[in-house]
Amino acid sequence: MDFKSAVFYFLATVLVLASLRVITARNPVHAALFLVLAFFSAGGIWMLLQAEFLAIVLVMVYVGAVMVLFLFVVMMLDINLERLRQGFWSYLPLGATIGLLMTLEMALVLAGRYYGLEAMPDPGASGAGVNNTKELGRLLFTDYVYPFELASVILLVAIVAAVALTKRPRKESKAQNAAAQIAVRRNDRLRIVSMPSEKE
Amino acid sequence: MNFLMPDFYPAAAEIFLLAMACVILLLDLVLTQKQRWIIGLLTQATLVGCAVITIMTASGQVVLTFSNMFVDDLFADFLKLLVYFSVSVMLVYSRGYLALRGLDKGEFYLLVLFATLGMMVMISASHFLTIYLGLELLSLSLYALVALDRDSARATEAAMKYFVLGAMASGLLLYGMSMLYGATGTLEIGGVAQAIYHGVANKTVLVFGLVFVVSGLAFKLGVVPFHMWIPDVYQGAPTAVTLFIGSAPKLAAFAMTLRLLVYGLFELAEQWQLMLMMLAVLSIALGNLAAIAQSNLKRMLAYSTISHMGYMLLGLISGVAAGDRHFALNAYSSAMYYTVSYVMMSLGAFGMILLLSRAGFEAENLDDFKGLNQRSPWFAAMMGMLMFSMAGVPFFVGFFAKFSVLLAVVDTGQVWLAVVAVFFSLIGAFYYLRVVKLMYFDQAIDTAPIKANLDMRLLLSANGLAVALFGIFPQAIMSLCTFTLLRSL
Amino acid sequence: MDMHSLYLVVPLAPLAGALLAGLFGKTIGRSGAHWVTILGVAVAFAASLAIFQDVQAGHSYNGSVYTWLESGGLKLEVGFLIDPLTTVMMLVVSFVSLMVHIYTIGYMAEDPGYQRFFSYISLFTFSMLMLVMANNFVQLFFGWEAVGLVSYLLIGFWYTRPTAIHANLKAFLVNRVGDFGFLLGIGLIAAYCGSLDYVQVFAKGPQLASMSIELFAGAPWMLVSVICICLFIGAMGKSAQFPLHVWLPDSMEGPTPISALIHAATMVTAGIFMVSRMSPLFELSEAALSFVLVIGAITALFMGFLGMIQNDIKRVVAYSTLSQLGYMTVALGASAYSVAIFHLMTHAFFKALLFLAAGSVIIGCHHNQDIRYMGGLKKHMPVTWLTSLVGSLALIGFPFFAGFYSKDSIIEAVALSHTPGAGFAYFAVIAGVFVTAFYSFRMYFLVFHGEERYDQVPHDPAHHDQHHDAHHVQAPHESPLVVWLPLVLLAIPSLVIGYLCIKPMLYGDYFAAAIVVGPEHHALAHMKEEFHSSFLMALHGFSQLPFILAISGVALAWLFYLKRPDLPASIKKTFQPIYTLLDNKYYFDKFNEWFFAGGARLLGRGLWKAGDQVLIDGVLVNGSAKLVGWVSALVRLYQSGQIYRYAFSMIIGVFVLLTLWMHRV
Repeated sequence: MDFKSAVFYFLATVLVLASLRVITARNPVHAALFLVLAFFSAGGIWMLLQAEFLAIVLVMVYVGAVMVLFLFVVMMLDINLERLRQGFWSYLPLGATIGLLMTLEMALVLAGRYYGLEAMPDPGASGAGVNNTKELGRLLFTDYVYPFELASVILLVAIVAAVALTKRPRKESKAQNAAAQIAVRRNDRLRIVSMPSEKE
Repeated sequence: MNFLMPDFYPAAAEIFLLAMACVILLLDLVLTQKQRWIIGLLTQATLVGCAVITIMTASGQVVLTFSNMFVDDLFADFLKLLVYFSVSVMLVYSRGYLALRGLDKGEFYLLVLFATLGMMVMISASHFLTIYLGLELLSLSLYALVALDRDSARATEAAMKYFVLGAMASGLLLYGMSMLYGATGTLEIGGVAQAIYHGVANKTVLVFGLVFVVSGLAFKLGVVPFHMWIPDVYQGAPTAVTLFIGSAPKLAAFAMTLRLLVYGLFELAEQWQLMLMMLAVLSIALGNLAAIAQSNLKRMLAYSTISHMGYMLLGLISGVAAGDRHFALNAYSSAMYYTVSYVMMSLGAFGMILLLSRAGFEAENLDDFKGLNQRSPWFAAMMGMLMFSMAGVPFFVGFFAKFSVLLAVVDTGQVWLAVVAVFFSLIGAFYYLRVVKLMYFDQAIDTAPIKANLDMRLLLSANGLAVALFGIFPQAIMSLCTFTLLRSL
Repeated sequence: MDMHSLYLVVPLAPLAGALLAGLFGKTIGRSGAHWVTILGVAVAFAASLAIFQDVQAGHSYNGSVYTWLESGGLKLEVGFLIDPLTTVMMLVVSFVSLMVHIYTIGYMAEDPGYQRFFSYISLFTFSMLMLVMANNFVQLFFGWEAVGLVSYLLIGFWYTRPTAIHANLKAFLVNRVGDFGFLLGIGLIAAYCGSLDYVQVFAKGPQLASMSIELFAGAPWMLVSVICICLFIGAMGKSAQFPLHVWLPDSMEGPTPISALIHAATMVTAGIFMVSRMSPLFELSEAALSFVLVIGAITALFMGFLGMIQNDIKRVVAYSTLSQLGYMTVALGASAYSVAIFHLMTHAFFKALLFLAAGSVIIGCHHNQDIRYMGGLKKHMPVTWLTSLVGSLALIGFPFFAGFYSKDSIIEAVALSHTPGAGFAYFAVIAGVFVTAFYSFRMYFLVFHGEERYDQVPHDPAHHDQHHDAHHVQAPHESPLVVWLPLVLLAIPSLVIGYLCIKPMLYGDYFAAAIVVGPEHHALAHMKEEFHSSFLMALHGFSQLPFILAISGVALAWLFYLKRPDLPASIKKTFQPIYTLLDNKYYFDKFNEWFFAGGARLLGRGLWKAGDQVLIDGVLVNGSAKLVGWVSALVRLYQSGQIYRYAFSMIIGVFVLLTLWMHRV
């Protein structure tokens, strides 16, 4: 086992353990942090494959943006995990059985026979001059321009949807309207009535 | 690196729609509440424009562009036109309903347009990636649309379920696609078909991927056991959105199924036919039986959708029998015909619910249709025709839809399957006819006069009459389906 | 316009008229309704004439217009077969219909259902034209049922009268019996020929003749005989042949114009037309022809007897129609199809004339229909009188009149026929001549001659049209132009059409390929040898037995009803049992009521108790309801709204599929 393999197995072990902890951790903040760890490990594995762009993007986007946001949400909303876990143990036997069987079946197919090194040979190291990021960029803007644009539309929809679902003038919102305040005239607010003085 | 500029011409309709969506997005910022009608009008104009462009760019040939990711053929053109048309009808039906509930925001129209774009992408996809992106574009828009009435707890819950389950289904589909990629080394649908044909791909991995792809498709079509979202979403969403979900996306889902299974995996037909057959039988049985127990019309129609999609699958599974492929054209066009006629009936039925709804009142319970004949004999007759058609009573379009898929099934020698399908459609007739009974023989509970815009009344009447008309002239749509498929396969 | 689109115009023009008058009757008003419908029918008539010219020039057509459905090799389509036989029918139908349309303007002038009536009769014209122009059995059946439906609607046109409702129900039910046979016949054809197209079926005829079918085990029947008899049972219903004739007299409850159009001239002859159309099949079966012959003979004679004692003017004509339809059927049975069609045509003209004249008399007598209370109308209604005389002479077969040529040809054809039963049929038709002459002139003398009795009408609202009962004692008056004009226009063909057409239709090659007669049925060929010209035939007719019988019938009527009006009463007394038998129409209605209606009720009750309540309600309905309830309860339990259950069901789905297919591969 060379050094590369050792690093791979180390990262893979961390990845699997961290992923398991994500779904078993009792504290949601811990779960989120384990997810961060899992992302880091996955980034490392990509790095081993010389996919440095993907590795960096994974860390930057998922760890830097998504997970931090997620942590905020988790910390700000008081999520009662105990309630979410109700019935966990009663469903576990059935769920675990099915899950195990599925895993077994998948393993049968995916284990070495069809996806081994014979079926998927090592493409070999690319030359020193090859720039992963540049290659990806070139493909994205040429051959894959259509899906690339579609992905951007999906993001646009996400923005629109987020705005539509959250940002709408609520009835109880009490924003000031400076223009209306300035434009107000005395007669709008004040009514002068003449009353005969009361006699005692 | 040699790169040719892709041919944008076949995708002109998609580009136009996207451009118009951006225009509307910006315009929505500057318009006041009173000028909001412009948005609706512009949306309709966009759809009309797309239709014109689609017709003009239709070449009758199979044209691939964008590095073989986008395909333009007659099948796509025909389905896209139907999508524009049903979206446009849906917008007319839902205008009054949305206005009364304060939902007629620019966002609604935008999301509808983006969903339409998603459907167009799916219909024209010739690459796993574009199928997936189209699907996500459509689904994301739909999730947001379902939740649009955010003060309604039911709608929010429905959107949440739809989102989570939809994400899971996308995961299944994506996983299946990645397996197919692993086996064939390509994501192009044509390339996948070639690879399988030449025996390059490993059968086990292919079938493994196929199971996941079929599961993902089954979710989108809403067939048992991937149907659970349908009743909750149909019932929970605002009726206008239910109408939307129940109409045009079925066309897109059909196109996606056809592209993936027939175009891409035709060599595996014997495998997926059997899978779909199990799903179809389950759907027909469960959909019809469960619909009977419903007292909510939207929920009832949801279960009816499940059974209808089951019937549609009957057409898809009759393409190849014992290696004999000459049934294929007939079978697939019968499934396509079924989808088209289902969309027609679904538009009408949900349109009726919209027609009877008022401010603060959703006419979504069966009891709300009691005595409709006394309130409006005309619309009672329309609803009656729609229900008869859905039940598959002869000389309505629904009858010929059922008839043609059953014929396709019998052609392949699976008589028992046809018998089962007919048996459950008889059971199904009960709940459709119950609506007719309620309308004609029961005393009206709700006696408020029916108020609706003239355009909606006219269109809904045309919708009802079309169901009867295409029952008298079934060959009109059928021959279009057969023709477009013949020119695109 | 090319011929192909002209073919389409013929049925569609009346349909357009019917739709306009029916759907927009209120908008276009009364005059609008009769204008559009008359225009529609007139267009159909004009187009039929043009097509007739074209067919004369030798351009037959057979093709489909629209394929409605194709299923397992069986095509259901709309198509036209235009040949000489079709064109005769098209001309007759559209011409008589046009006359009736015009006549209706006067007859229904005061009726509140004016537009509805016009819509119906135009719809009828459409259906009838579709029937005769069909090139396949499906369209034939469509037309068949459509004319039946319109007939039902029209008999019950005055739907507030219980008698009308009873009559239309009866007509509908009796026709169902016939249609059952008809449908069986079509089904057999579809099953054994695999096609419903006339040409293809006829081409398979010889094959059918060699096949046999076992209706009851061990008793093989010739397939073609079974098919033909089934088809003929349909004809018996529609063309009111014994014993399915019972509905026709009652159908007189409808307004008179439709009695003329539907229940005399056109619809009831659909059966005759159909059998002629099917001549390639009937020719293959001696048994079927014999059956046809005997049924026709019975109808021709025995229905004529009933006409002798009727007092309602329309019923006399109705029984005469039954008898004449019997004549046509006899001709069919004798394989003289062209003669049958010839008689159908002449009969259509003079019977429509007689009915419309009867209607005119009814208007003139302020809706009294009882001939005992008419008399002496000759001087009050000259046009009606004259045209009625023409019609009656044509009916009894007076030489030179239209009816003479057709009826005499039938009698001769039967005399020369060797089909089993021909002897009886010959006796029936020859005796029928006397009977016909007697009842026709009985009616004629009672209505137009003798003393005026119109002021003696007893008050009996049941038999009156629903309006103006007030002015009973007013003298009769001639009807308006729109009423008598059609009479005159119909009187002309009643006079001359036989003289003009007998040569080309019977002895020329007019029908050429449209009608097939087997070589062993040579009656017509014999007649052709003896025929020289229409004129000579008529002259010869004066010395023949039928003429002598007809004249004696007229003389007897004259004696009984003009010379010695006291005689009928005493004869009636002497032969009381026979009179009672006739008065009760051979007890057919009573028998039907007791046997069929009673039996059906009994059977119905039995089935209801045993089948419906126990089996269907108990086991099927409630049983399946229980099953459904159980399943849906289960579904509801699982459809709990909890998302993880939904997700789990999806996982299970994937798991099951995966497990099944991993084993398969």
